[in-house]
Amino acid sequence: MNAAYKFGTLCLLAAGLMAGPAAAETNLTVMAYSGLFQERYTKAVIEPFMKAHPDIKVTFFPLPSSAAMLGNLRAQKAAPQADVVIMDVSVSKAGTDEGLFTKIDETNIPNVKDLYPNARIPSVAGVGVTFDNLVLLYNAEQVKEAPKSWMEMAKAPYKGKVVIPGVPDIQGLGLVLILNKANGGTDYLANVDKGLAAVAEIAPNVQTWEPKPEVYAPIITGQAALGVGYNARAQVNSEQSGGKIKATIPQEGTIFQINTINLVAGAPAADAAKTFVNYALSPEAQKSFTETMFYAPTNSKAEITGAALDRTAVKNLDKVMSVDWIALAQVRDKIAEQWRRRVLPASR
Amino acid sequence: MIHAEPTEMTRLAQGQGFLSLRGLTRRYDHFTAVDDLNLDVAKGELVAFLGPSGCGKTTSLRMIAGLVPASSGHIVVDGRDLTGVAPYKRDMGLVFQSYALFPHMDIARNVAFGLEMRKVPKAEAAQRVKEAIAMVRLTGREHHRPAQLSGGQQQRVALARALVVRPSILLLDEPLSNLDAKLRDEMRTEIRDIQKRLGITAIFVTHDQMEALTICDKVVVMNHGRLEQVGTPHEIYEHPKTAFVAGFVGRINRLPGRASGGVAQVAGITVSAPGFDGPVDVMVRPHRMILSTGPVPADAGLHQLSGTVTRATFAGDILEYEVEAAGTLLKTEASTRGGEALLAPGTPVTLSWRPQDTFVYPAS
Amino acid sequence: MTSLALSHTEPRRLGPLGTASALLLPIAVVNAIGFLWPVVNLLKMSFREAQASGALGAGYNLDTWTNALTDSFTLELITNSVGVSLLITVLTLIASYPIALYLHRSTGTWRTVLMVLVVAPLLTSAVVRTYGWIAILSDRGLVANALMALGMAEPPRLMFNLTGVVIGLTEILMPYMILALLSGFGRLDPRLEEAALTLGASPLKTFWRVVLPLTAPGMALGGLLCFVLAISSFVTPKLLGGGRVFLLATEIYDQAIVTLNWPLAAALSMIVLVVFGISLTLYARALRRIA
Repeated sequence: MNAAYKFGTLCLLAAGLMAGPAAAETNLTVMAYSGLFQERYTKAVIEPFMKAHPDIKVTFFPLPSSAAMLGNLRAQKAAPQADVVIMDVSVSKAGTDEGLFTKIDETNIPNVKDLYPNARIPSVAGVGVTFDNLVLLYNAEQVKEAPKSWMEMAKAPYKGKVVIPGVPDIQGLGLVLILNKANGGTDYLANVDKGLAAVAEIAPNVQTWEPKPEVYAPIITGQAALGVGYNARAQVNSEQSGGKIKATIPQEGTIFQINTINLVAGAPAADAAKTFVNYALSPEAQKSFTETMFYAPTNSKAEITGAALDRTAVKNLDKVMSVDWIALAQVRDKIAEQWRRRVLPASR
Repeated sequence: MIHAEPTEMTRLAQGQGFLSLRGLTRRYDHFTAVDDLNLDVAKGELVAFLGPSGCGKTTSLRMIAGLVPASSGHIVVDGRDLTGVAPYKRDMGLVFQSYALFPHMDIARNVAFGLEMRKVPKAEAAQRVKEAIAMVRLTGREHHRPAQLSGGQQQRVALARALVVRPSILLLDEPLSNLDAKLRDEMRTEIRDIQKRLGITAIFVTHDQMEALTICDKVVVMNHGRLEQVGTPHEIYEHPKTAFVAGFVGRINRLPGRASGGVAQVAGITVSAPGFDGPVDVMVRPHRMILSTGPVPADAGLHQLSGTVTRATFAGDILEYEVEAAGTLLKTEASTRGGEALLAPGTPVTLSWRPQDTFVYPAS
Repeated sequence: MTSLALSHTEPRRLGPLGTASALLLPIAVVNAIGFLWPVVNLLKMSFREAQASGALGAGYNLDTWTNALTDSFTLELITNSVGVSLLITVLTLIASYPIALYLHRSTGTWRTVLMVLVVAPLLTSAVVRTYGWIAILSDRGLVANALMALGMAEPPRLMFNLTGVVIGLTEILMPYMILALLSGFGRLDPRLEEAALTLGASPLKTFWRVVLPLTAPGMALGGLLCFVLAISSFVTPKLLGGGRVFLLATEIYDQAIVTLNWPLAAALSMIVLVVFGISLTLYARALRRIA
C-alpha cells in the first residue's frame, strides 16, 4: 500500500514535469529525408516557420529513405510520434492504403487551392510538396558539352563510365519509361519492351547499377562520366563541387518524382501539424526551398527568381512525361523481372 | 659431402659406440642448454640421462631425435653421421612423457602409423601391429581410442608404436613421470624387459635417480648442460666423481673441513684427502653411518663422531635420525630388523663409518 | 507460522539439473525475447496480405509463399546464395588456415601483436572495409594499375560483379575464420607432430595425417560461421556487386526497403533461416564424424 502510494506520487510528479514546458509551446515532429535535404529544408522552411510561430517547436526526425519512414510509421501506428511526413508519392500511397494519414484538401489546408493539378493525387492522402525530375548527369571534365540524348550513355567512349541506380530504384525505372516513350512505346502499364531494349543498349557501358551512397559521388570524382540522377541533388552537388558535376534534360524528356507532405493520423500535435503543412505549401516557403535546393515548386503562386528557376524543370514542363506512379506500382514487379532477364545480361 | 670430408668421416667412424655423441652442443640466445657432450653407447645398452630439470638431458635427447638442431657437434649412429638429417629420416623411436598418441586414430592405427609411413606391405604391417600390441599386453583394445585407455595403457601403446618400426635407437623422454607410483614400478620393469628382449639400444631421460639406477646399464648424470659423470649405476652411486653427483644420486651428509698434506681435518677427525689443499666438503651417505649408544672399539678402523639425537622418526622398515655432531646436523638411519626401539631426542650417540665410504670434494 | 519457520531453516535445494536450468534461464529468456519472438513475428509477417502499392493489408493469406515458392527467381536466389557463400567459405578457409596455424604456434609478445592485427579489422565496420576494397579494386585502383603496369591492356573488371563480392567478403570474414580455427586448434599438440616426424612422416605427410584431421573441428566451426555470415551479409554484396549479383540477403533488403514488400522480405528471411537450420544440421553431423 505504502509502495503503491509512493509510486503514484512519483507518476504524478513525472507527469507534471513533462507537462510543464508543453504548456508554453507545442512540439511538432517532422519526419523527412536525412542529409542534404534535412540541412536545406531546416534552413529554408523550418527556421522561418518557427520564427513566425514562436509557440511551435519543430523537431526534424531524419531518415534515409521513404521506406524507412513507412517502417517507422507502421511501428508507431498505435501511438504516433511524428506529426508530419515528407516522402515519395508511391510510398505515401502505401501509407494511405494502410490508413496512416489524414486526407489533406482545401478544407483543412487552405494553400492546397493554389497547387498545380499534378500535385494533387486523388488516391493519396498527402499532397505534392516538391517536384523533382530525372536528369542526365555528366562529369564536366570528361564530357565537354551537355549531351543531347540519354543514349549518349550507350556510346563507345563511355564504356565502364556509366552509373545508373537500376530497377527497382525509381531512377532506373524512370529511365526505362522515358526511353520507352522515345522509342515509340505507348502504354507503359501494358509493356515497356522498347524502353528495356534501349537501356540494354546502354547496359554494356554500365559500371554499376548500385552507386553508393548515391550516384553523384562517382561522377564528381571522375570514376564515372555519365549517370542518371535527380535534378535537385545534382544542382546542390554541382554547386558544392565547383561545377565538377553537371546535369541536363536530354531531348527525349524526363519524368517527375513527387515528394508529398502528409498529416499522420492520430498525431499528437494535429493542429500545429496543419499550420506547418499550410506553411510548407505557401508560396513563400515554396520559393525559399526551391531557391535553396532547386526542387520545382508545387504551388503555382510561388514566384521563383530567374537564376534558380533555370535550374529547375519549371521552364521545361513540356519535356516532362507524366507518370502515374500509383498505377505503375502494380506492374513494378513485372518490370523488375524483365530488367533482370533483358538488361542485366547485357552488362555482365 | 661424404667424399668431400673423408678424414672427418673416418674420425667419426672411429667412435667406439653404436651411438656416438661428439662435442654435441646446443646454444640459445642467452644460455647454453647442452655444452660439449661426448658419449658412446654400445649396441643393446639402456642408458639413462639423469639430472635436474633444465640440465639439458631432454634437449640432448631431442637433438638425437632430430627435433632440435645441434649448434655444433655430431651425432653418429652405427657409423652414419645423422647430424643434419631430418627427423623423419633418422629411424628413431621416441616415446614422449605425454604419450603423444594421435587422438583421432584408434590404437591399431596409432601403432600402424610408422609402418604406413615406411610403406611396409599391408599384410606384414598388420602382423607386426598385432605382435606389438600383444607385446604390450593390449590385445583386444585395438579399436579403442587413446582417450578410452588409462595412462599406463596409453604409455604402453606409445611404446608399441615406437618399437613396431624396429628403430635403431629407442628414445624415452620421462616416460613414467605422468604415472602414479605403483604403475611407475610396473612400467619400469616392463620397459626394461622389452628392451632386453629386443636387444635394442635405448636412451631413457629421467630426473628420478631411482629409475636411472634400477633399470639402466649406464647412467649419464648431467647438470647445467654439462656431463658430470658417466658410469654404471654402481660406479655412480659408490664413486661419485663430483659433489653434485654425490648429492643428486642418493642422499648425502655434508661436513665442511680443511685439507693439507694429503689429509683433511673435519669435526676433529682426520680423513684421507690425497691431492686436496684448502677448504673441502666431506660427504658420507646417511645409511653408511652406524649409530651406536655405546663406545665403538678404536681398532675397528672406523671414523667416529660423537653427537646428540635431535630428531627421531619411526618409518617402519627403518628408524630415521637427525644427529647434531660438531655443530652440523647429520642424517642417519638404523634398521628395525631386530625390533630396535626408537632413541629419544637428547640421547648421546656415536656415529661411525668406514673410511672408504668417505667422499672428499673441493668446498662448493 | 510453522511452515514459514521450516522454509527458513531448510531452503529449497536445487539438484544438479535444477542448478543447470536455473543458470541457463537468463540466456533462455534473452533468446526468447531477442530471437524467437522476432522470428515468430517474421513468420506472421510473411503471411500478411501484400498489396501492389506496398501497403500491408489487414488480412493474412498464402499468396506471398505460393508466389515465392513457384517463382524460379526464388530458386535462383537460393542457389546463388548457397553457391556464392560456399565459395567464399572455402576461399576464406584456404586464406585463413596458414595464418591461424602460424598464430597458434607463435608465442609471447609476437603472438599478441599478431592477434591484435587479426582482430583489428573487426573494430571497423564492414562498410568501411568495403569502401577500402572499392578503392583497391576500382578501374583506376591499386590492382588495376598494377596489372596495367605489368602490360595488361585492359585489366579484368574486379568489382561491381561477383568477383568483387567474393574478394570483399572473403577478406571481411577472415578474422572470424581465424578466431574459429584458433578455438578449434586446442588438440593440436606440437608433440603429436613431433611423434609423427619421428615415426617417419615427412612434414607434408604430418600435416595431412595429423595436423589437418586434428584441426577439422575448428575448420567445421569456422566453415559454419563464415557460411552463415556470408549468406546473411548484404552490405558488401550491395556495394561491391554493382546490382549484378542477386542473393537472398540483397533481395530481402530490396523488398523491404525499395519495393516495400515486407511479406516477401519476411518469407525470404524464413528461407534463409531454413538454410541456416540445414547448415547447422550438417555441421553437427560433420562434427560427429570427426570426433
